[in-house]
Amino acid sequence: MSPPAPSRDELLAMAFVDDELAPEARAEFEQRLAREPALRREVSALKDLELLAREAAPKELVEHEWAALAREPAQRAALGLGATLLVVGVLALATYGVYFLIEAPLPPLLRWPLVTVLLGGAFLFGAVLRARLRTLPHDPYRHVRR
Amino acid sequence: MILTTTDTIPGREIVETIGLVRGSAVRGAHLGHDMMAKLKNLVGGELAEYTKLLAEAREQALDRMQAEARARGATAIVAVRFASSDVDDGAAEVLVYGTAVRVG
Repeated sequence: MSPPAPSRDELLAMAFVDDELAPEARAEFEQRLAREPALRREVSALKDLELLAREAAPKELVEHEWAALAREPAQRAALGLGATLLVVGVLALATYGVYFLIEAPLPPLLRWPLVTVLLGGAFLFGAVLRARLRTLPHDPYRHVRR
Repeated sequence: MILTTTDTIPGREIVETIGLVRGSAVRGAHLGHDMMAKLKNLVGGELAEYTKLLAEAREQALDRMQAEARARGATAIVAVRFASSDVDDGAAEVLVYGTAVRVG
């Protein structure tokens, strides 16, 4: 069974990524991109493929070794255990920090500015993380290897 | 679009010089990659996390330069040059620039 023929929008998106649209058609398509999330996702997916196609250089020998290492149980276990211990340790330290902030005999003039700074940092980090996660699907460069 | 580091394109005639076009990108590695790169730095060898980071910035800067050239009606960019600078630890900045032209 042959794959379904691409839709008009898919063809337009391909032409857009391949820089084959006439200036007027390109401007019109860019206006649609600003309005239509589905079209943005389609263009992002095609852009991912285009960037992969640029990596025409053959694999280096060391890359086969890196891939073999990544499959080895000992290496995976060491990386997994290391990361887990690190995350648990950081969370424990953060918990102790919060406990210290609440329970320690700190003067209010020190306690509340500290709480404010920490909360401000947490909110800012949350906003930055949210923005990164939201834009990640539209960042084709994350697939570039070298 | 033709991109070349030379001032001319053999076999093609430059019919119009449009002007300077450039693209830049600054990209950061996330904390996990940064930590692994720092650890690898202790034992030597390629810091693949930073190789990837620099490559990401290079490709993004190239695309931005081409987008500017395209918007100005160019069909090629000659005399392309790359530059980089150190904005922040663990971040890669690449600037690429060239002369946008229209070729016959």
